[in-house]
Amino acid sequence: MIAATELRLVLVTPETTLLDQSVRSIKLPLFDGSMGVLPGRAPVVGRLGRGELKFETSEGSKSYFIDGGFIQIKGSVVTLLTNRAVGAADIDAAAAQRALDAAKALPATTDEQYSTKTAADEAARSMLRMKRI
Amino acid sequence: MANSRILVKRRKAVRNIAKITRTMELIATARFKKAMDRATEAAAYTKKINEIVADLAGANLSFSHPLLQKPAEEQNVAVLVLTSNRGLCGGFNGGLLRLAMARLREFKADGKNIRLEVSGKRGLSAMKYEKIAVDQAYTQFEDKPGFDEVNEIASRFVADFISGKLHRLDIVYQKFQNAARQSPVVETILPIGDLSGATAGGSSGIEYEFLPSASQILEEIVPAAFKARFFKCFLDAAVGEQIARRVAMKAAHENAQDMIKSISMQYNRARQSQITSELSEIIGGAAALE
Repeated sequence: MIAATELRLVLVTPETTLLDQSVRSIKLPLFDGSMGVLPGRAPVVGRLGRGELKFETSEGSKSYFIDGGFIQIKGSVVTLLTNRAVGAADIDAAAAQRALDAAKALPATTDEQYSTKTAADEAARSMLRMKRI
Repeated sequence: MANSRILVKRRKAVRNIAKITRTMELIATARFKKAMDRATEAAAYTKKINEIVADLAGANLSFSHPLLQKPAEEQNVAVLVLTSNRGLCGGFNGGLLRLAMARLREFKADGKNIRLEVSGKRGLSAMKYEKIAVDQAYTQFEDKPGFDEVNEIASRFVADFISGKLHRLDIVYQKFQNAARQSPVVETILPIGDLSGATAGGSSGIEYEFLPSASQILEEIVPAAFKARFFKCFLDAAVGEQIARRVAMKAAHENAQDMIKSISMQYNRARQSQITSELSEIIGGAAALE
């Protein structure tokens, strides 16, 4: 069998299809940690976490912040469905810092509140982290 | 002369209105194209979600999720009506409100607790006129509804439904069928009746690895599918409004053109008859002098 060399990344948000291009490799946040995808990956359906999506193209690497969603790998196509995706260059550090402060101030007395708080906290932190690099 | 002056004035007024309606038609056309593009772009998301749902169905999973199940009782209902903020769009708001009123009366006759939410100033003023209390009003949605704003509302409905405060959600909106055909509809979107619409035959036969597990993905994807569908209602409504406005303005413009024509004819006749009578007066006067 010939080794697969093709890999196409499709990034879809509810409003629009942000990306549809061929890439060399992808690093993406899964619900429990990050995952790398190279050409020839077995089919997967999974849940995404919050954090940095990084991919290598022939022109260099690019990164996006993504906020939850789903991944489907089928053949050579990797589809990411996410509610929110922001290009690394478009991240507003001040806004992220404000979001982090707001997340810190959220109450966490019930399980539900705790999970929304951690989610908001995580999203803001990973955005800030991306900005610092 | 008085008569023809009135006609000239009137023709001028109609001409000005024709100019306005023509401009509005062009604006509505441009906005419709933009709204349409957004709707088609958003369709990709819904399509993918349905694909994943079909893949999950292939994993021999029983679909059970609080959002899919019909609650035992159906006492608390919510009705969301999506109307426009602006008028001059023909029968758009009228059709929607007629349907909404019929559904409200039905619920009232069954003695249900109705929570009414209305988006759009037109719907709000109609409810005010009918003296029906609106529990929640939205006026921020124009022709470009953003997912974040819609998501907020959707999340609230999902939370209410899961906690049992809400048993059913009906949405009244203009459904987009194709560019020439839209119709106002009432749809029950909670509980979700059928998740993917066409699950059958969607399974691609590929064996997927599920991370973390098929059932946990299902738990997340059901609300996501609901939100996508909810968002689509808003997009459809935006597209429908622009199409309705374009059609209404086109008709108004054509009508104005017809009016200009008939007024011009009347004016020309009046002028001609005046000239004729003046001529005959002159001739009569000359004949009297001889």
